[in-house]
Formats: sequence, C-alpha cells, structure tokens
Amino acid sequence: MDSKKQYWKGLAQLENDPAIEKLAHNEFSEHLPVDEFLGDKKLPDTSTSRRDFLKFLGFTTAAATLAACETPVVKSIPYVVKPEEIIPGVANYYASTIYDGRDFASVLVKTREGRPIKIENNQGCANARIQASVLSVYDSSRLQYPLKSGKKSNWREIDQEIKSSLVKLKDKKKIILTSSILSPTTKDIIGDFIKHYDNVEHIMLDSVAYDGLLNANNDAFGVRAFPSYYFDKVNTIVSFGADFLGNWGSNDYSSDYVKGRNPKNKKMSKHYQIETNLSLSGANADERIQIKPSEQDYLISNLLQALKGDKVKIDSRITKIYKELLSNKGKSIVVCDSNNKNTQLLVNDINMVLKNYERTISIASPNYLKQGDSDRVNLLIDEMKKGDVGALIIQNINPVYNFPNADLFTQALTEVELKVSTSLYLDETAKLMDYVCPEPHNLESWGDANPSHTNYTLMQPTIAPIFNSRQFQDSLFSWMEKSLDYSTFLKNYWKSKGLDWEKSLHDGYFSFSQDKPKIKLYKFQGKYVKNNDNDKIELAVYESIGIGDGYQANNPWLQEFPDPITRVCWDNYLTISPITAKELGLKNWHVSNGALNGDIVDVSSAGRTLKSIPVLIQPGQAKDTIGMAIGYGRTSSGKAGNNVGFNAFPFIGHQNVTIKKVDGEHEFASIQLHHTMMGRDLVKETSLSEYIKDPSAGNYREKYYTHKGKLPANEVSLYEAHDLENGHFWNLSIDLTACTGCGECVIACQAENNIPVVGKEEVRKSRDMHWMRIDRYYSSDMNFKKGKELDISTIDMYKQMEKAAENPQVVFQPVMCQHCNNAPCENVCPVAATTHSNEGLNQMTYNRCVGTRYCANNCPYKVRRFNWFQYSENDKFDFNMNSDLGKMVLNPDVVVRSRGVIEKCSMCIQKIQELKLNAKKKGEPIRDEDAQTLCSSACSTNAIIFGDVNNPESKVAKMRKDERAFDLLDHLNVRPSVFYQTKIRNKA
Amino acid sequence: MFLCRQKNINLRSNQEIVLKKSMGLFRTLRSNIFLFLLGFLFSFNLYGQVEEGEKLFKQNCASCHLMSSARLVGPGLEGVTDKYEKEWLISWIRNSQALIASGDERAIEVFEAYNKSVMTSFDFSDDEFTALLDYLANPPVKEEIASNNAQNSVEQGMSFSTKMMIIALILATIVFLLVSIKNSLKTALGKETETIPQTLFSQYQLFVSNNINVLFVGAVFVIVSLKFVFDLLMGVGVTTNYMPEQPIAFSHKIHAGINGVDCNYCHTSARHSKHSSIPSADLCMNCHTYINEGSVSGKKEIAKIYDAIGFDPETRTYIEGYEQKPIKWVRIHNLPDHAYFNHSQHVVAGGLECQDCHGPVEEMDVLYQHAELTMGWCIDCHRETEVKMEGNNYYTHLHEQLKEKYKGQPITVDKMGGIECGKCHY
Repeated sequence: MDSKKQYWKGLAQLENDPAIEKLAHNEFSEHLPVDEFLGDKKLPDTSTSRRDFLKFLGFTTAAATLAACETPVVKSIPYVVKPEEIIPGVANYYASTIYDGRDFASVLVKTREGRPIKIENNQGCANARIQASVLSVYDSSRLQYPLKSGKKSNWREIDQEIKSSLVKLKDKKKIILTSSILSPTTKDIIGDFIKHYDNVEHIMLDSVAYDGLLNANNDAFGVRAFPSYYFDKVNTIVSFGADFLGNWGSNDYSSDYVKGRNPKNKKMSKHYQIETNLSLSGANADERIQIKPSEQDYLISNLLQALKGDKVKIDSRITKIYKELLSNKGKSIVVCDSNNKNTQLLVNDINMVLKNYERTISIASPNYLKQGDSDRVNLLIDEMKKGDVGALIIQNINPVYNFPNADLFTQALTEVELKVSTSLYLDETAKLMDYVCPEPHNLESWGDANPSHTNYTLMQPTIAPIFNSRQFQDSLFSWMEKSLDYSTFLKNYWKSKGLDWEKSLHDGYFSFSQDKPKIKLYKFQGKYVKNNDNDKIELAVYESIGIGDGYQANNPWLQEFPDPITRVCWDNYLTISPITAKELGLKNWHVSNGALNGDIVDVSSAGRTLKSIPVLIQPGQAKDTIGMAIGYGRTSSGKAGNNVGFNAFPFIGHQNVTIKKVDGEHEFASIQLHHTMMGRDLVKETSLSEYIKDPSAGNYREKYYTHKGKLPANEVSLYEAHDLENGHFWNLSIDLTACTGCGECVIACQAENNIPVVGKEEVRKSRDMHWMRIDRYYSSDMNFKKGKELDISTIDMYKQMEKAAENPQVVFQPVMCQHCNNAPCENVCPVAATTHSNEGLNQMTYNRCVGTRYCANNCPYKVRRFNWFQYSENDKFDFNMNSDLGKMVLNPDVVVRSRGVIEKCSMCIQKIQELKLNAKKKGEPIRDEDAQTLCSSACSTNAIIFGDVNNPESKVAKMRKDERAFDLLDHLNVRPSVFYQTKIRNKA
Repeated sequence: MFLCRQKNINLRSNQEIVLKKSMGLFRTLRSNIFLFLLGFLFSFNLYGQVEEGEKLFKQNCASCHLMSSARLVGPGLEGVTDKYEKEWLISWIRNSQALIASGDERAIEVFEAYNKSVMTSFDFSDDEFTALLDYLANPPVKEEIASNNAQNSVEQGMSFSTKMMIIALILATIVFLLVSIKNSLKTALGKETETIPQTLFSQYQLFVSNNINVLFVGAVFVIVSLKFVFDLLMGVGVTTNYMPEQPIAFSHKIHAGINGVDCNYCHTSARHSKHSSIPSADLCMNCHTYINEGSVSGKKEIAKIYDAIGFDPETRTYIEGYEQKPIKWVRIHNLPDHAYFNHSQHVVAGGLECQDCHGPVEEMDVLYQHAELTMGWCIDCHRETEVKMEGNNYYTHLHEQLKEKYKGQPITVDKMGGIECGKCHY
C-alpha cells in the first residue's frame, strides 16, 4: 500500500540540511580508520583485484596452517649462579622508602626474579603517585649516562672537571640547591661538603611552596617547620582551601581523618571546607562553602576576631563554624592552604585561641616533609645575576619548570660558571646545565629519611641500577675526593648510633629519640584583614591528584589516571563555575560519539598570558573564579609527558585574571559523561543523626509484588542458585563513608593486573581499560518530590536532574566487576568464556573469548573492557608495554591480554589462588588478615575490605551483615559478591 | 615435606617389609600374643626411624655418597657402621675438620685418601643421628621393587599389532575352513566348486547389490576417516615424546636413576614455586667440583659446566673475572602463556610424584615429554584424582562440608572447583 506519510528524523532533515543529505549516503557518519586499523597508510593507493585477494587469502591460510604445525623451540636459561634469596616464581618483598622530593611514603616493594613490580603500603599511606612510581624505574626517558654540555661523557671525566672548577672558584659562592632533604646522613654529607670547600651554601626548595606556613611558624613558635596534625582526635575540622585529603602537607592525613569518622562510634568529626576550587577534601566535606580567594583572609580574620570575643559582626557564612569551634576547644583543627605568612599567622592564632596546640596539632613534634625556602631562592636569583655565584649544584629539583619566577631563574643561570645537576631525568633544568649526573631511582638507591619527629625510615635498593647512574651522596663523596661509598657510610652511621640495623632494614622504619625543638612563648601576631570586594575573575592554582607537581609527568599510568573530581585525564584545563561560564558564553558539549569538547580561551594576568586554554565547566567552583592545575605543560619529561596541557606554575601567586574566548575547540578525554544520579539511588546515603536513630537508614530495598506478597528482589529469582555455602565465598565490601576517592586503588589495580595504557584518543572513545573506576556523582537541586511540588513535566524534571547543583554534595563510588552470582554476562556468552566459580567469582577466560562483546552489553555495571587493539608491542600505543624495559614492570602471574578479548576485574584471582595454596602447603586454615586484593591492600582508609564471608569470624562477613550493607542496583537481583556500605554524612 | 617421591616409594617397600617381618613374628611367636604386639610396635618404630634416616640421607648425603661400596665424591657408605663405631661417625659428621685436627688417625687416613676434600659439617640432633645411622646400618631392600617393575613390563609386553595379526590369522583360517566346507558340501551334491577368490568375489557382489550395505559401509568409512582427520588435527601442537638435543648431554638416568639423586636436590623450587626450575650451574658444582669425568661421555660434557661457570678442573679453582656463559637448555615442557600451572600446588598440596606427569625420568638417558600436556589431559586427572584432605588443617572444615554434600562419593579435585576455567586461566 502506498503511504503518503513521511517521517523526519529531526528538524535538520525537514529543513533539508545538506549535511544530513550527505550523511544519508554514508553508512558510517565518521570516516572509518580502516587503513589505520590495518596498519598500512599506503593501502588506499594500492590496487588488489578480487582474484589477488583470494590468492593471498589462500596462501596466508596455508602458510598459517603450516606454521602452526611446527612447534617452536623455546630456550630456558637458568642462572649460572643463583642468588640465594631468589626462588624463581616466588615474590620477595623488601621494605623501603619512596621520596622524590615531593611525595614520601614508607613502602613494601614486591620483586619477582629481582625486578620490582609493585609498591604496597608499609607504614602510612602510599598515594597514587607513589604506587605508580614503580613504573618510573623502567622509564627509558631516564638519564642513562653522565652528560657534559649535553653530550655523553663518563664519570671520571666530569668528576675531574667539576672538582677542578670547584677548586678554581675559591672565593665565589657555591650553592647546593636541593629539594627538601629528609635524610640525616645526606645532610651530614652536605655538611662535610660545606666544610671541604669554602663559601658553600645549601638551599632547599619545594616544588610547591609552603613558605607562608613555615615562616609563620618560625615567627610564632621559633620553629620553621610543618606541624603534625592528628585528624583522628578532632570533633571539628575547618579547612580554608587546604586539600589535606589530596595534596596538602603529608599523605597520611586521610587514614586519620577516616578513623575519626566511623559512624559505628555514633560520632563523626564534622568537616567544613571553605574553598574556591572543588578539591578532594571539599568533595568529602560535610559542609562546603564557596569563596573567592580574595575573601579567605577576611573570613579567617573575622573568625579569629569572633573567637577572641571581639565585638564584630560575624560573617553569616561562618556563624555555624564559629559556634561549632567554640564548643570544641582543644578538639578541632583549622588549616589553610595560603602561602601568605600573615594568613598562616592568623590561622595559628585561631588554633591557639582554640587551645589546639599539642592536643590536635603538634609543633613540638614537627613534620619535616616541607623545608623549602623560596625567599632564599629569590635572593639567589639576584646573587646569580650579579655574578656572585660561581657554582650551582642542583639536585632533584626542577626550578626552570616549577619555580614561579622560572624565567628570572633561567636568565640568571647564564651568569653561573659551573652548573651541575644530579637528576633522574634530563628535565628542563638539567638541559641548561654543564654537567648532568644521572641519579638512580629510589628503588635502586640506599637512603634514610626522617619524615617527622622521631620517625625514621630506610631505603634499600630492590634492583641493581639499570643505567649508568650514581647517587647524589656518592657524587658528593667523589667531589670531596673521599673514597667512601654511601651504602657503607649509611650502615656505619646508623650502627654507630646503636641501631639494630638488620631489624630496621627489614621493617623499613624505626623510631629514634630526638631532641624536641625549643618553642618560644607564643604571641598573637596575625594582622586582621578587611573585606574588600573584588569584582574581577580570580584564579586559584591547584595540584591535581594524579600528576601532582609534574615530577612524574612521564608516567603514563598517572597521565591516564582520571582526576577524581573532573574525571578527565591526559589534560589540564581551566575549571570554571557553570554560572560564570554562562556569563562569559563558554560551553562544554558532547560530540556524536559521546566525547566531551569545550571552548578555549586566552588567560592573562599581570603580563603573563596563556593562549588557547581549554575550559572545563566544574560544578562547585566558586562563582567568578577559575582553577588550573600545575604539573602539566612539561617540555622535557619524556614521550608520554611532553606537551600535555600547559604550565600553570608561572601563575602561582597571581590573583586577578582576564579571560577572553577565542575561536576553536578542545577535545577532552573524559571518563565519566553523566554527573548526577538522575534520581536513582546508586549510592545510598543518610545523615549521622538518621543513622544513630536507625542504622539501616537510607538503605531502602526495592520490593516486588509476587504471589507471596511484596518481597525484596533478592528473595525472588528464576535462577537456580550456585552452591556458595560450601568452601569459600569471596566478597568485597566498600565503605562509601570511608572512601575519599583518592584513587590509590585504581593505580594499584593497574600495576597488579597489567592493565594497558591506551592514550587520550582512545579514552575519548570510551575505550579506557581500567578495571576499576571511581564514579563521582554530584547532587542535583531537583528530585522527584520537588518536581511534583513544582508541578513540572517529567522531561523538564529529568533535564533539571541532569544538572549538578551549584554547590553540590559529592559522592565517590569505586566500581569494579561486581562478581554477580546471577550474572547477566554469563548467560549471554556464546562460547562460555565467562563462567561462575564455586567461590562466588565471575571468571573471565581470555583464551576462550571470541569478542562478541555481548557480555559487556549485558552488564548493568559497565565494568567489562574490550581490547580494541593489541596494546602491547604496538607502536600506536607507545607506552610502557611497547618496550622491553617498560615490560619489566608486568606481573608475571597475570596474562597480558591480546586484541579482541574482553577483560575485567578478576577480584585478584591470582592472589586468591596464592592465598589458598600457601594455606594448603602449610596445612593451616586461611587467616582473615592474609586475604587481600590489591585494591583492598592499597586502600589506606580501609574502605575496601576483602575476605571470605563463609568464615563467620572474617571482617567482611561482619560487614555483609551490617545494616549499612547494600548491593549496587539491588533491584536487578544479580546478587553481586561486591557490596557497599551506605554513605553517611555528618549533616543535619 | 621434602623428598616426597622417595618417601612414598619407601613407604610402600617398608610396609611390605614390615608386613613380612610381622608375619614372620606371627608364625614364631604365635603362642605369645603379648610379645607379638610388642614386636609389631617395635618394628613400626624401627622402620619409622629408618624412614626418617633415609630422608636425612637423601637430603644431605646422597649428593656425595652412594649406598654401595662405590665411590662418588666421598666413599660409598655400605657397611660404614660396621667399620666405624657410632660415636666416631657422629663426631666425624658433626665436624670432620675438628676430628682431623685432634689428630685422630682414622680421620686423617680418610682425609688423605680423598684428596683432602673437606666434608660439609652437619649439625643433626641426637635423634636424627640415631635415625641416620640406623638407616646406614639397615639400607632398604631394592630388589623387590625392581622385580615388580619387571613383572609389569611383561604384562604390558604384547603389543597392539601382534594382537591384530593373531586376529587376522584366525579370521583367515575361518574363511579357509568355511570355503573348504562349502566346497566339500558342493562336491557331495555334485555342484561346481569355487576357489577362495571366486567365493569372495561372489559374496562381495551379493553384498554390494544391497544399497543398505553400501550405505552402511560408506558411513563407517566416512566416520573412520573423520576420526582420523580429527585425531590428526587434535595432535597439532601436542608434543608428546618431544626429545630435543640439549646443549649438555645430561642424563637423568645416571643422576636420578643410578646415583639416586633426589629430584628435589636439583629442581629445588618445585616445592616452593610454580616453576620446578632448571638448576643453576653453581648447583651442579656441588658435586662436579670433584667429579670431572663421567662414565659415558668422559670429560667432554662435564667440561661444559666448567665453561659456563668459569672453573678450572686442573687447579680446582674458579677463574676470577670470568665472563660466565649461561647454559641455554631447550625447554621440553611448554605450556601456553595463558595456562597457569603451579608445581608446588601439585607436588606439595596435591602430593603427586614427579613421575606422575613426567614419566620414568630416572630411566631416561635423554629427557622427553612423557604426558600430552593438553587441557583434556589436565582435566581428566582433575576428575579422577581424590583430594588428599586428611591431616591438612586447611581442609578440615571444607572436608566435613563436602562429605555431607557428596555422600559416599569420592571427593575429587573437580568437586572443589578444580576444573573451573578461572583456576588456570587468568
């Protein structure tokens, strides 16, 4: 029958848009990269007839068949002399320390056949960057031999020349510029060096300056040090911009913070965050107040005045904080990220008024992680310019890149006669040096560290130096013409102090008595700051969780690590609030394949301009402010890190900026495209007061009508259940209250399970390979109830729901394969490549998989990853798996997957098998504390707990029975082996 | 847990001996049950000790001493307990150098006789010494095991082809008989006789004239050829009997068979790791520092070890600054990368003998792949093998559960999830 009716797919078609016309003729709207896919760019130019094609096909099939019949000869080469401690196939663990001048942690290093392959927590917390640093050992961009004026040289030659130059420069100043030095022995050796040559001075510099705080403490207490904070002992935490759960201060605050926020104790600390950018701490805060950077000093002054009892009008935004602090004297902490001395003095005053010192904050047992002195370096620039400085020895710091006045520093460098750098990389600074001495990686070095009062750690090599490198200490020895070697020196130093060397080296840490610093009488010194309205757009520079200060910019794991807040990787950008963006006409939008694009702008401030910077609209960003992350825009870091993003260091200290929209657009690699939960309760949450009334508050279970009445989903099933009562039943509990979203687990998982890096382009196509992701959801102002009240249409309501609130509450939810016991993926696999184990695991057999991707399609959690390409040994993915050196980090117990198969979280089945085998060999039952997946052992806040729920004594069995436990998407009744604990906020 | 293989073999032989001994006791002491029981207990105790002694011997002594009069690195230990008294032996084993230094004449004599090579000191406990010396005094009887093996080989002796030939011969005889009967009947009836080929041909035509017969034969032919092709294809990549030439003509027969060196002495990590590991050259040197000439290949093959590690057999010293050359063995047992296999799982937790998978290695001059190493082969074994749960606390709870679940059935590996994909593929 002939029908006159015509349907349009959209307005564009109705209007006969030529683009639509064009599209209608093509099956695929975008160009298909067939030639790229086949790996031959010249392919379109060649001509192959159908007959030729068939000939080739026949020939290759025959050749492949013939080749398959022949068994290759495999050689097996044992050690000639086997090291006593190595059993091939069995991992050894060594306690050591990672300190790269920025991040510090005492760690356990897992080695296999003499190769370090994994870093785990020892004492304290190893953050994502430290977890990833094991990959940096195998970085081919590291310096491989000593350089003289940029050319390959040898140690003898450069030592000779450096020594003679040092002697020649008798009267001129000689400066040793280093990052903060934690090692007492290194300080000793530098002290000897200062005595050995005349006119030597040692200056320390932190890549991210903490001078304001250090100088304030110097003025207030007579101790130029970073205090220790005890976040577990407090009732109230007030942070003015300090991202203490992310990058501010030391790494160890998050475990204390979470300890003080256990709802089981019916008491949680209350956390206020007053900040500009949405930081990790802000995302975890109970209440978050958005301010412009210029308001910070005024609010702190106002708070101090109020607490002191002065008659002032308390700013309405902080009245609640004021009251809370007043009733929690001695049980609170106030911190601030400002690098301004007066601001930090005011904060000290607040803590003094609150009697927090030596209760929740200790200046008497300080933390030594930050010792840098930027003021001294600014002076040094002047001295260098004047030509006073004859020699500059730079160790492990990159001021040409990361000093805010880098341009001045670079200019002044030309006036220095002898420039020596000891460094891991040929970085921006090392490139300008006369002599470059390669340093070994932490995992190839000896060392000690004194991170905080009376706490010490030791560093020991876990692999022989891969390149022709030499430790800084040994360099100093040879320049002093001392025939010592540092490892012996270190050992003798500590043995002479009566230390049990063997035990301390085994443990990795020890405590050693130390004199308490002398603290002078406290005087209130902070000067009050008045409110001044600033209508300009203000800038707040921050450090991203993945890249930090950019030291490890060439680490592809970190580049591909999605930022916990923005969920964007391989980039930095301007974060801007939705309102300001609207005012300035700046937009983010999704292109046809779902990828995120954004407008670009020029940013300028006081003579500095950055051109064509992408803009990312960030809910929670204060109005009329922008944020940008340092650590990007490296030009001399290596192939993965070069020219990713832009360098924001020169903008540190700049407040007022102007933004101008320019033509063009930027392509982001964003992992998460939906930012709200759209009215669904993916994360079940409640408040502390509700929880105290009813521990199962917020943990509502969907019920179904059945012939037996209303039943929760888990009591209705068509499937025959697996036998999970006998033997083990492995479960994973994730506490959303304890999870701070830091991403340690993501990197730990990547390192353990040989997860490839796919690069920005592939991430944009949603082809990221991470087995676990940390979903971040913003709350929305709209909900079903409100929609009904306002009487708006359902579509409008959902549209509103899609938008995050202006100051959203944030939840983090780590999601990996949920190991469903009614698994939707298992039913649809045509080749039974994904099957269920009798221990509650959903197994993935790569060698059976034919790549239909039905499973990924049927997975309600979207945790299955497809290998679109061969990611190892492929020049298109030139990351660590494309070189013999980079492949040394691979875990030999886990298969490297090939093209065309699905992969996913295995719940670290290799660890489970090892655990069971060890127990069987010993003839003992499995101990609960031995059961760990890599994400659970990496989690420093114990948010992830793994174990056997069939062992009633296990922690995870208790968590399973907890009223807070819920399954993600429980109404589907897929019965996951992974479950969550409700998020509880300390909020009314 | 060391030396499982030897231990189990000896368990068997010891039990036999124990049984015989106790039978003997039973006969002679039939009237005195009390004495019999005492003897029974004693014999168990004694043989338990000998077993312990054998374990110690294999672990510590066997690499240098034989249990015969032949000389290896040190003297053969047959009858050593008759030659020397217990106390002397103990002090020699504890610290031979101290004994020599004390001026003991016999000690100096032995030391001189063996080129002044120093014997390693062993600090055993008193019980261990008792066990070891008991073992040295009562070495096990080996002949019985050997004769058992001989019997087995006779049983397996008749090969498949011989059987087939016998059957064919019988069939031909039957055809011949039937045709001659038929012919004689025909002669009796006065009909024309047929020769054997004629009979066969007429029978064939009769058979072919029926379509169903042709169809049947055709189907059988197709099935058999398909089976042949299937087997051929399934055999691709299966390298049973793979026997490559190795860089050193190492004989397992000489080491593990004739000299009785325990598998674990060289393949040290089989009990600890997923790899059984090829021994490093320095391990070879434990014995070959002294033994520089073999009975078959002379000095040629052993010299290759010296070449790898840098040892001068003339001066018996290691060459300083020598650039060592790793020995590139050809790997025989190759599993694909996507299959995880763990030796210690099978040897320690599973209690398997090396020979269960690797075959009679101690009889192989040149090592070859004994088992198929296919997935079917793994799974067959996992379906048949019962899990040894007794005496292992890991299984205590699980064992009770599984006994309840599989009432009366044997608990094989597959009942514990031993054939799940994820156990070997991850």
